[in-house]
Amino acid sequence: MSTIAAGPSPDATIELVNASRWYGNIVAVNDISFALGPGITGLLGPNGAGKSTILHMLSGFLKPSNGDVRILGQPAWQNVALYHQLGLVPEREAVYSFLTGTEFVELSARLHRLPDPAGAARKAIAAVEMGFAADRATGGYSKGMKQRIKVAAALVHDPEVLLLDEPFNGADPRQRIQMMALFRSLAAEGRTLVFSSHILEEVERLAENVLVIVAGRLAASGDFREIRKLMTDRPHTFTLRTSDNRKVASTLIGDPSVFGVELDDDRVTVRTNQFAAFTSSISRLAQAGGITLYELRPTDESLESVFSYLVNR
Amino acid sequence: MSSVVFQLTMRQLLGRGRTLLMLALSLVPLLLAVIVRLASPADYDHQDFVANAIYSSFVVTLILPLVALVYGTAVLGAEIEDGTAVYVLSKPIPRVQIVLAKLAASWLATSVTVGGCALLAALVGIAGASDDGMLLGFTVGIVLGALAYSALFVFLSVLTSRALIAGLAYVFIWEGLINGLFDGTRLLSVRHYTLGIADAFTTVSDRVFEAELSPTTAVVAMALLAGLATWGAVRRLQRFEIGETT
Repeated sequence: MSTIAAGPSPDATIELVNASRWYGNIVAVNDISFALGPGITGLLGPNGAGKSTILHMLSGFLKPSNGDVRILGQPAWQNVALYHQLGLVPEREAVYSFLTGTEFVELSARLHRLPDPAGAARKAIAAVEMGFAADRATGGYSKGMKQRIKVAAALVHDPEVLLLDEPFNGADPRQRIQMMALFRSLAAEGRTLVFSSHILEEVERLAENVLVIVAGRLAASGDFREIRKLMTDRPHTFTLRTSDNRKVASTLIGDPSVFGVELDDDRVTVRTNQFAAFTSSISRLAQAGGITLYELRPTDESLESVFSYLVNR
Repeated sequence: MSSVVFQLTMRQLLGRGRTLLMLALSLVPLLLAVIVRLASPADYDHQDFVANAIYSSFVVTLILPLVALVYGTAVLGAEIEDGTAVYVLSKPIPRVQIVLAKLAASWLATSVTVGGCALLAALVGIAGASDDGMLLGFTVGIVLGALAYSALFVFLSVLTSRALIAGLAYVFIWEGLINGLFDGTRLLSVRHYTLGIADAFTTVSDRVFEAELSPTTAVVAMALLAGLATWGAVRRLQRFEIGETT
């Protein structure tokens, strides 16, 4: 299904309806509603945006201050039976350091009262390609290895819904690729995966659907390409240093992709709302006018500025 | 009770340096008994030494509550603190089973460590003389006292992240100071429950040892406290929330 709707949906595996969560006077999540079906959804937002709060509410570890949070049609809060169908990979690195990888995953299987805990653990460990270190104590694992063994423990009971809080933290590029392939195959089997990340590229590479969370609010949701386009076509500001700033300024003012030019002593500041058009036209204009470009620098490319644009648009 | 959680918790408790430390602390009365026996003072009274010096003043007043505090706050509180509790709490296990398993682990570790070491010290102290039921009485008292302390400290550990401080305040301020000033407060003292239960088994003269609470009062009050603390821990864990930093 992989759909995101603004309100409740009968086919949704995960639903938030006007969910809010506050701590005293601090609002961590503010009146968020969405419904998700099977597939991979990325929760994207800067650190402290409220992604973990949403995941904690989904996993039944935080009571919504207001609104409803439902998984597979059941309330998430105070519903331990839900964990039969729910797997959780927490953000914190901590694992039982005295257990080996196999013991850690088997523990999860035994807590789920699976009929063959050893067999289920072997299968889950193979899925995350951790067989080579399964007999070593997890206390000696690297951060990326801990992430993978945590994923194996969360997968051991074959859950329908998998919640992952920053699952790629500490993973090296090869481990990322491997885990992404695993998550895609799990989604292809009809499971619902929700993962959080503050890294745009991770979400871009993996998620079919994206929920952009900024300051506790749902800033944007839907297909990643649409959101990416929104992010790309927002107003951008560039500074240029060239061999002839005055000529560049007078040329750019006539360019349809530009809506503002400012000429300073040693630089030109340009504002555009067509990122792609501007970046291709500037090199063409420079070449045609015989101007040398010393520097072309976007001034507002931080992820936070992208997110705040989405919130304020 | 979840046997998987119990086994995991025992492994956590026993596999760490804290167990050695608790064992060392619990062996101090044995060391004391050996020193006193070797010194053989002229006025040595076997029963008085065991009842008062070993059990009442040392084991029941200091070692039992301290060891129970360390184990009781570690079995669940340490997991909540370091973030590993989520691996147990995110499983389809009723919270009551988790609390009972944690409580059983703390109770067993405290009983065996303190009760065993205290019994060894008492055997050295009594040196073959008649104990008039003291060894049995104090061992039963320590085992039941370990249960009450464990229930109380497990409850504190899910109630506050400063359970160790709260527990120390209970042991040293409430039991150590206030109980001595106001008689009525002894009804809320695990130390006095332990001594009251021990008294039920002993036939030594009141000159040697006499508890402040009657055995019946001690048993009823202890059962109430342990039951309420366990119920409170279960209720608290059912409403347990992971904070932003957890």
